[in-house]
Amino acid sequence: MSLIVESIAKRFGRFPALKGVSFAAPKGCFLALLGPSGSGKTTLLRILGGLEFAELGHVTFDGEDWLAKPARERRAGFVFQHYALFRHMTVARNVAFGLEVRGRKTRPPRAEIARRVEELLALVQLEGFGKRYPSQLSGGQRQRVALARALAIEPRMLLLDEPFGALDARVRKDLRLWLRELHNRTGITTIFVTHDQEEALELADLVAVMNEGRIEQIGTPGHIRNAPATPFVAEFLGQSAPAPAVIPLRPNRTNLHVP
Amino acid sequence: MTAASLTARASWRSPSALPGFGLTLGFALFYLSALVLIPLTALALRPWSLGIAGFVAAVTAPRVLAALELSFGAAAIAAMLNIVFGPIVAWALVRYRFPLKRLVDALVDLPFALPTAVAGIALATLYAQTGWIGAPLAALGLKVAFTPLGVVVALTFIGLPFVVRTLEPVLAGLGREAEEASATLGATRFQTLRRVVLPALAPALVTGGSLAFARAVGEYGSVIFIAGNLPMKSEIAPLLVIIKLEQYDYGGAAAIGLVMLAVSFSILLALNGLQYFVFAKR
Amino acid sequence: MTPLQPRGATEDHPLVRIAAVTIAAIFIALFLVLPLVVVFSQALAGGWSAALAAIRDYDALQAIRLTLIVAAIAVPLNAIFGISAAWAITKFDFPGKSLLTTLIDLPFSVSPVISGLVYMLIFGMQGWLGPWLRDHDIRIVFALPGIVMATIFVTFPFVARELIPLMSDQGREEEEAAVSLGASGWSTFRRVTLPNIKWGLLYGVLLCNARAMGEFGAVSVVSGHIRGLTNTMPLQVEVLYNDYQYVGAFAVASLLALLALVTLILKTFLEWRYADEIAAVHRH
Repeated sequence: MSLIVESIAKRFGRFPALKGVSFAAPKGCFLALLGPSGSGKTTLLRILGGLEFAELGHVTFDGEDWLAKPARERRAGFVFQHYALFRHMTVARNVAFGLEVRGRKTRPPRAEIARRVEELLALVQLEGFGKRYPSQLSGGQRQRVALARALAIEPRMLLLDEPFGALDARVRKDLRLWLRELHNRTGITTIFVTHDQEEALELADLVAVMNEGRIEQIGTPGHIRNAPATPFVAEFLGQSAPAPAVIPLRPNRTNLHVP
Repeated sequence: MTAASLTARASWRSPSALPGFGLTLGFALFYLSALVLIPLTALALRPWSLGIAGFVAAVTAPRVLAALELSFGAAAIAAMLNIVFGPIVAWALVRYRFPLKRLVDALVDLPFALPTAVAGIALATLYAQTGWIGAPLAALGLKVAFTPLGVVVALTFIGLPFVVRTLEPVLAGLGREAEEASATLGATRFQTLRRVVLPALAPALVTGGSLAFARAVGEYGSVIFIAGNLPMKSEIAPLLVIIKLEQYDYGGAAAIGLVMLAVSFSILLALNGLQYFVFAKR
Repeated sequence: MTPLQPRGATEDHPLVRIAAVTIAAIFIALFLVLPLVVVFSQALAGGWSAALAAIRDYDALQAIRLTLIVAAIAVPLNAIFGISAAWAITKFDFPGKSLLTTLIDLPFSVSPVISGLVYMLIFGMQGWLGPWLRDHDIRIVFALPGIVMATIFVTFPFVARELIPLMSDQGREEEEAAVSLGASGWSTFRRVTLPNIKWGLLYGVLLCNARAMGEFGAVSVVSGHIRGLTNTMPLQVEVLYNDYQYVGAFAVASLLALLALVTLILKTFLEWRYADEIAAVHRH
């Protein structure tokens, strides 16, 4: 077990957002934090990213005290729900940002940065989009720029906040499969937040169902589906769970040709 | 399970991932205190060096009372003028198309941008008995410059943009649907304006009017050239503050200043309260 | 024959329209256009050479110089303050935030004369520090420092009140993204925040500068009116006018009026071109 989260608690004013969350996940896993809005899942994600601070609790990642590091030293690639692309920078400059702000000693030379940006844009299938501005892209394209930007810093952990929330249904499906394939290739420990149980159960290796600041159940999608541990989980899954959709194995638009 | 490694930090602010809080807040507070708050404290404390009786005597001297009355009275009349004409200007700018509209719209901000001394000498020249406007008015037997009326003219000039600029976005955001609904219900255009449009504008009118008033009460530069500055007649309160200072009567100057501030804040507070209790319920 | 179209439901009667535009036009002409025209026509009443000579006068040149120096100190300081205050207020949560925002606006509701008076009460001869300053031969009022402080006071909120709503609209996410990508605080500000607020900042600085160069009441109190030494341009206008040197007064005044016109043009341009990046356009 490489990621160990122990009794994380956090309040906003008087409102308890997290009431002692504990779980563990293996390195390289694809974990979904699933729950209704207000269940604390985004807060937990932001704590892992260093953007929010736990009042109590402990996180170990790869044997390190994860919470002791400030956000800028964690190398946690964070993809925001609304992408938070730098609006005044081109796509290429957005992707290059994490490399350009490194100290002189660790900053790659300019040509190397340009090469890496090209590679990443190819990876997210946005070759030739480098000179555009975020406002000139569609939602799905922005999402992929945000992902490329997060991947540029060679993140130790990838954190995605409602990665498909702002996209329309078709793009969402495509991007979902593409993200799964990307994870299979890179093997980066990935945690994503969603309120869509279909999305969580289809995509993740491990699903943590959250409710009112607690984890109700954590397990594989099959496990969660077949043996809901609490009435809440059963109801949350039952309520809006359609029969598992049949997914085409090779969606035409998002085919990834991995060498 | 270990005890919390990150102990509950008893911090007075919510922790943040972004840096620079201490530096920026520290500088902002230092700068604000040094240049604004401490000097204003001096104003609040100084008058009491006269003693309470001395303070009362200083601000109730006939000349002081006359100046305060002129400053507040003329400011109120000017604000009323702007409350009448400001909406017409704003309505024309928002609803109609006419030549040079963009230029006129930009010109509305002139009193913000034109240095008050420049406005002052220009108005004084215009409204003097030999001036372009003053001469025809004098022929009608109306003397503007060097009378309290001149003070009103200058204060109207200063206050105009406050009313127009507060009204414009409200008018633009009003949309025509309410008016259309009113028309379909059989209201005449005048009834629509009076019963639908005007009430919707009322809060902005009060806000704009009180901003214009507050600015006018303390106005100095654009007024002193046109006012004539006769004690008891056309002498405004800010000028009296300067005169007291020049006579080394710091306590008296501070007393007038404090009264001006206190009265205008009370009026603003009352108008805000009016906003809150009358309009917020809608 | 085409039927006569009835008037639209929200259209005013043509006479009403004409009346409203006429009243507005007269009001604006009387109060805004004519004063502007009178400044330039009086300045040129004695011809171009007389106007130019009045500006080239030693005292006038000294006044122009002092005005530029004062603005060059006061405006950057207020800009730095505005950025600092806006950063603290919009990027962090702390108690007393709305009080701080209110206090920043305070100088706008204080009479310019009182803005000068408060410094006299501290640094003037009869002020708190007056005797001590005299003993140590430090001049604050009736000298440059006092003029600068009074100018800072009256122009205090301009940059901050433009940046606070703008930065609060823009949120914190871009900065958070920058930090999570490894950027330092300074580099986050310079590369992410500053480019996002530059037009709003320029807008605030523009208004701040116009007021700083044109301030009369506050400066008048602390300047001491020493010709060629502590007279700024607006004070020089007053001195010349009271000396019945109308051409000179209006010549210097016309420079200030030009400054106002340039400010208005730039302001209108910024509002039109960068409407999304200026808070004042959305909420006046």
